[in-house]
Amino acid sequence: MSTPGAAGVTDLRTYNPLVKVLGPIPVMVYVVLTRDVLTPAVVALVVFAAIALLGRVRPRVLAAIALGAPVLCLVMTFSFGMLTDPALVDDTTLLAAVGPVELWSGALETGLATALRTVALMLIVLLGGLTTTGADLVRAMTQQLRVPYRIGYAALAALRFVPRFGHELEVIRGAHRVRGVAPGRGPAVAVRRQAGYVVPLLAGGIRHAERVSLAMDARGFGAYPQRTDRLRIPFRVRDVVLLVSFWAGGAACVAVAATLA
Amino acid sequence: MKSVTTRYLMTCAAIGAAMGVLLIPANFVSAPLAAAAPMAYAPMVGLWLIGPVLALALIRRPGAAVLTTFVAGVVSSASPVGAWSIVTCLMAGVALELAFVVTLYRVWRPWLYYAAAVVFGGLYVASGWAAFNMGSMMTGVLVTFVALMIGSFVAATWLGLFLAQRLAKAGVARGLAAPRGSAEPAQVAHTDAR
Repeated sequence: MSTPGAAGVTDLRTYNPLVKVLGPIPVMVYVVLTRDVLTPAVVALVVFAAIALLGRVRPRVLAAIALGAPVLCLVMTFSFGMLTDPALVDDTTLLAAVGPVELWSGALETGLATALRTVALMLIVLLGGLTTTGADLVRAMTQQLRVPYRIGYAALAALRFVPRFGHELEVIRGAHRVRGVAPGRGPAVAVRRQAGYVVPLLAGGIRHAERVSLAMDARGFGAYPQRTDRLRIPFRVRDVVLLVSFWAGGAACVAVAATLA
Repeated sequence: MKSVTTRYLMTCAAIGAAMGVLLIPANFVSAPLAAAAPMAYAPMVGLWLIGPVLALALIRRPGAAVLTTFVAGVVSSASPVGAWSIVTCLMAGVALELAFVVTLYRVWRPWLYYAAAVVFGGLYVASGWAAFNMGSMMTGVLVTFVALMIGSFVAATWLGLFLAQRLAKAGVARGLAAPRGSAEPAQVAHTDAR
């Protein structure tokens, strides 16, 4: 949400998008480099708690994460456990052997560590992703990172191209049908027919973009080095606090995992 | 920034929007797929490279790859990863663009696109190496995984170049591409480009 002055300090959506998306990167790099089970597990739990308490996501989405994360973890433990080289873990217990496939407890542990690492990373991504829209990040980039506003506004305008593609596809489909391009039934013909839409769709999109650019130039887009914005994305003291608490939280998770181990 | 025309910006935006639409379902599918069946995820990674290759080959101007992937990230942010897709997409665009920065935007031949795709594939595998602890995997699995990923990037590059050629033949973005260079789309480009 980009409404300035929204009261909720406990609402993650009101914080600066740059902090939410780029702030946790040091924590993510650290998590990628860990090899144990505890550190990513602690990070995942803390981040999930943060999403539940501050994210203001819909209950269904939250339930999907709460169910999906353990399932993902379980599936990955086995799928990556199977991929693990048995030679590295043959000092552990052999749990099962079906034909040439062997499952060692050490392999499962490696798989579990990989699974937890992935889930922790995914939750950190969701923490920023579920509370930030792409358009708000673009606005923050032009307002705080000094990205030229013409680039930012080109990206925002592109969002309006998407419904236009749907309309264009209908027109191309109709035109191809009238002209009898790739007629007939069956999956092979269907693929050929779909493939035939790609170039006209792209060409139509680019030509539309050229017309839009003429209209923008005619209205003096980019005539001044600065411009005003309808939506301001503020960078406040609380954003600095959030940034510091990301790093402090990450360090605390590492410390907790170290004492538990 | 003054030398960048609005037409160039919006052309990149259109290509980026098309790529972004393609990436929305990919964003939904990629995480569960990478988890459950890493082998099925590997051939998918090329999707992120089609747009920037297409934009660079068609427009042939500095920054086209980065700009296209930036827009693609904004458009594909309509998924659970939200604004993060901008960062993911930009990584592909910047990596491809770097190959052309290094050659000072003088080489536009297909081999440079393929070389960039292979180098980016190598870097991508290296980052996945750390995240997925790939050093602990069986050698056969590892070779297949890396081959599938690099193969996917090369196939995406081929597709991007092919589409750029077809679009240039259809007269799209005429006069926008820089007249220098030697790859095929320039044959139909006018020389009065600004």
